[in-house]
Amino acid sequence: MNAIASLDSDIIAVLKGYPDATQDQLIPILQDVQARLGYLPREAILKISDHCSLPVGRVYSVATFYNQFRFRAPGRNHVQVCRGTACHVKGSLSTLDTIRDHLEIDNEQTTHDGEFSLEVVACVGACGLAPVLCVNGNVHGSAAPDTVRKTLSSYRAKEKSHAATR
Amino acid sequence: MPSTVAPGPKITLDGKFFHFTAGQTVLEIARENGIKIPSLCYHRKTGPCATCRVCVVEVEKMRGLQASCSLPASDGMVVKTHSKQITEARKCVVELMLVNGQHNCMSCERNGSCELQDAAYELGIEAPSYIVNDPVEPLDDSAEMVALDRRKCIKCGRCIAACNNVVVNEVLELGKRGSQARIICNDDLKMGESSCVQCGECAQMCPVGAIIDKKSRGKGRSFATEKVNTTCPYCGVGCQIALHVDRQANRVVRITGREVAPNDGMLCVKGRYGYEFHASHNRLTHPMIRKNGKHVRVSWEDALDYAAERIKGIVDKHGPDVFSALGSGRITNENNYAIAKFTRAVIGTNNIDHCARTCHAPTVAGLATAFGSGAATNSIDEILEAHVLFVIGSNMTEAHPVVSYYVKRAAKSGATLIVCDPRKIDLAHWASLYVQHRVGTDVPFLNGLIHEIFKNGWQNETFLRNCTENPDDIRKWVEDYPVEKASEICGVPVEMMRKVARALGTAKNVSIIYCLGITEHICGTDNVNTIANLQMVLGHLGKRGGGVNPLRGQNNVQGACDMGALPNVHHNYQSVNDPRVAEKMARDWGVPSVPTKPGYMLPTMLHKAQDGGTKVLFCVGDNTVQTEPNMAKTIKEIQALEFFVVVDIFQNLTTQYADVILPDVCFNEDDGTYSNLERRVQRLRKAVEPPGEARPTWWIVQQLAQRLGVDLRFTSAQAVWEDMRRTSTAMAGITYSRIEKIGIQWPCPTLEHPGTPILHLDGKFTRGKGLFCRTDYRQQAEPPDSEYPLILSTGRRLWHYHTGTQTRNSVGLEAMFPEELLEISEADAGRLGIKTGDMVAATSRRGSITLKAWVTDRSPLGLCWTSFHFFEACGNVLTIDAYDNVTKTPEYKACAIKVTKVADGTSPKALIARQARP
Ligand code: SF4
Ligand code: SF4
Ligand code: SF4
Ligand code: FES
Ligand code: FES
Repeated sequence: MNAIASLDSDIIAVLKGYPDATQDQLIPILQDVQARLGYLPREAILKISDHCSLPVGRVYSVATFYNQFRFRAPGRNHVQVCRGTACHVKGSLSTLDTIRDHLEIDNEQTTHDGEFSLEVVACVGACGLAPVLCVNGNVHGSAAPDTVRKTLSSYRAKEKSHAATR
Repeated sequence: MPSTVAPGPKITLDGKFFHFTAGQTVLEIARENGIKIPSLCYHRKTGPCATCRVCVVEVEKMRGLQASCSLPASDGMVVKTHSKQITEARKCVVELMLVNGQHNCMSCERNGSCELQDAAYELGIEAPSYIVNDPVEPLDDSAEMVALDRRKCIKCGRCIAACNNVVVNEVLELGKRGSQARIICNDDLKMGESSCVQCGECAQMCPVGAIIDKKSRGKGRSFATEKVNTTCPYCGVGCQIALHVDRQANRVVRITGREVAPNDGMLCVKGRYGYEFHASHNRLTHPMIRKNGKHVRVSWEDALDYAAERIKGIVDKHGPDVFSALGSGRITNENNYAIAKFTRAVIGTNNIDHCARTCHAPTVAGLATAFGSGAATNSIDEILEAHVLFVIGSNMTEAHPVVSYYVKRAAKSGATLIVCDPRKIDLAHWASLYVQHRVGTDVPFLNGLIHEIFKNGWQNETFLRNCTENPDDIRKWVEDYPVEKASEICGVPVEMMRKVARALGTAKNVSIIYCLGITEHICGTDNVNTIANLQMVLGHLGKRGGGVNPLRGQNNVQGACDMGALPNVHHNYQSVNDPRVAEKMARDWGVPSVPTKPGYMLPTMLHKAQDGGTKVLFCVGDNTVQTEPNMAKTIKEIQALEFFVVVDIFQNLTTQYADVILPDVCFNEDDGTYSNLERRVQRLRKAVEPPGEARPTWWIVQQLAQRLGVDLRFTSAQAVWEDMRRTSTAMAGITYSRIEKIGIQWPCPTLEHPGTPILHLDGKFTRGKGLFCRTDYRQQAEPPDSEYPLILSTGRRLWHYHTGTQTRNSVGLEAMFPEELLEISEADAGRLGIKTGDMVAATSRRGSITLKAWVTDRSPLGLCWTSFHFFEACGNVLTIDAYDNVTKTPEYKACAIKVTKVADGTSPKALIARQARP
């Protein structure tokens, strides 16, 4: 209940900055909301549509056109798998498949426990280390299928031990 | 037809010269001249979107192939529409589409009517030369009427353009992009959970089988059904439809909109999908007579003999005025004329009326007084040409959906839309100015606007001086209504009133559109006259895109009035008390005389039943018990009748009181005509055989008359029309053959006359000069008080029609709107401890109903709202039998009620919110 209320007030706060908004301000608004919340929840799409007097479908269509927007809350650990050319040549597809199987989620999804979210990205600029995996911004090179499970578990473990000390 | 002398630009297509008008595209010119070019993304209604490139052509002096759908023609252009290169390019496009989806023509609904299949066939593609195996998602089958099968979607974008720009329901969009792109509803909801109103425009526009009419699946593809062109049997828009008939099963299996006036292919959920009622098991199939309190089946002979004998006995004894008849806004012109003629020529009374009494009688009376003609002045498609649209008392997205598409489209493309309604109806979302005036304060609100217009000198002086009779009067009368004072009565802020007056006063062209929110008050005729006053002050009459345009409610309520199913006029509004008219009718009808004393209006007929003034009521297609106000009183009156005959297609609340029930045919079981709200007389055609022994009303009337000693010579619907035409004025030029393809708008006095899209051309009114009438504010008949503190207003819902007999006997409509709701504001509900979904009792001084509450910001403080579609919880149990003093139209829009909670709700809130849209 409170979570929703604070979500609402965050969205409203952003919209306050755009009085009399039109379609032209749609992308900046979407960016601002995402910057504040980390993603674009359904409530945000509805509120923005109302605020800009645009059909809900229009707002969603614009948002999904750009790769920068996410529609689900990111996990506590955000996993990015590079599918750029260099990584592809070094077998990033099987890395990705392994991660998908292991976490049981697809691109742009979050695990049920909220631990991990997955995003497929293009070249992250570390081609020398291909295939590359980023977790919470930390680059992990030579991410072959047999090593990624361990990498991921280390994050899960970190999270757990962190929780235990609390 | 190419001609060498005609001036203007020319183009060469495949070696032949063609003239064209500037602005036309190459594809349009080719189509006009019968040259075939395939187009998959382009459609006339949605325009070019230039994505599919199947329409490519070669143009001299231009490099590469050009998309003809978006290529403007220029003088001297030389174009090839067919060549090896073109064929190869088109083949490539079509193959790509075929391999990127799962096109299984064998079991596709659109097999035989698919534009992709046609293109493949013409290009000689047997099987795609390679296969892409992308995972594809399952069918979206969640909505009642429309199914979305993305496996077959070629992403042409037509459905999106149609939903957003043609019907302006703004549901569909394209999500993602590139190869991931897909059609989405709202923010990627299932269609059944989205804001889609199931109008089916997207299904009609989809070139392939990706969006289909769900209920027609497996019921017969285009080549297996026969198409019968006819008119929609629901509202007064009079949409033109094609019935797809399975002859063997004697059933309609699909309906498509015809791309002609007035609807240009568009329909609403009722018109497109509410068709199964004709084949319902609940239809009345044989005559019945009440014997010992029970209805028993009898033969037509027995039923007619009995009815004739009883009518004769009573009329002989008490005189013709104890007989009353009700025609109907739901039956054909022919049948209304038949009943009116029977009443006047055979019985000898003018006691004939119909349900216009309960809706637009104030329009007929008010506009006839002001202008000389009681009908809409302009045509539906002119809405697109208005600069300002002033909509008052019309919930058109529900009651006249196709008109609302035009209005929303106009608003979207820049017209100023002003919506005035006590409820925040859906249309308000498209409005530039939304005015929430108090129920029943239309007169002070409008007079305030007129005052403000005069004050600022925005009136049209030339029009006032040249075209109206008493311009000084109106200026004087509105002196009592400065905006400050008007605002106090109607509750609209002064600033808003000024804004609206300015928008109206400074506009190039204003179209005023209104509906029952204006007429269903004790001051209904005054309200109509005030609207006429306003428009005469503005002077936008007798020209395109302007006018005073009442939206007539039922399919043929305009026609029922036109046919003289009214106590004071014969067909075409020829007065019963005009001796020349009486003489003409008597001569033509071959009777000694016709009555010249105006008959009873509907409420009077019923009223008089209680003291024996009315003894026989002959009622066709009316369901009086459920539609008249104060149901308990109506029942008492009907029970007091000595003899009650009902002709209808279903059992309903009214048939149960009948002494004789006669089964009628419905809209697709006989020929005939309806007149729509823009006075357009349109054909109805027989498409299926009627069930059991059902017979047309004109046949029943003919049989009864014969038994009463008069041969009316009614041998077919067309014969009845011709009988009417002999003594007709405004319709004398309209014959079945002239309206074979497209209807004609009356007045059409001669066979050569083209019909009249716009009345009172150039401000020359039918009555000569326009007449201002004085109107002053009157309070509603039953204001709220401490015991009954809320106001109840009633009306119609998108998903249902009239008393629900047709819509509740069709598949899917009832599923979408299964039970009645009481709309109540958040503040009132909060005070009464009511949540959405709770069962509540709504009680007036006349009765009580129990129904579900819908707490909504549509309702302002103090106002509740419901409909009369459901007999289980019918608003007319509560409504008040208080009437407009001129026309006796009941005040359905305002009575006092109280609301109490009965039980906590059980169904989820989301379900009710979904049921309650739009
Ligand atoms: S049925 Fe009508 S409202 Fe629904 S998506 Fe199709 S066009 Fe839009
Ligand atoms: S659903 Fe039909 S109309 Fe819509 S984009 Fe796909 S193929 Fe075109
Ligand atoms: S708008 Fe009226 S006439 Fe048109 S389809 Fe709907 S109910 Fe029928
Ligand atoms: S391709 Fe993966 S880091 Fe450059
Ligand atoms: S029809 Fe011309 S590009 Fe599609």
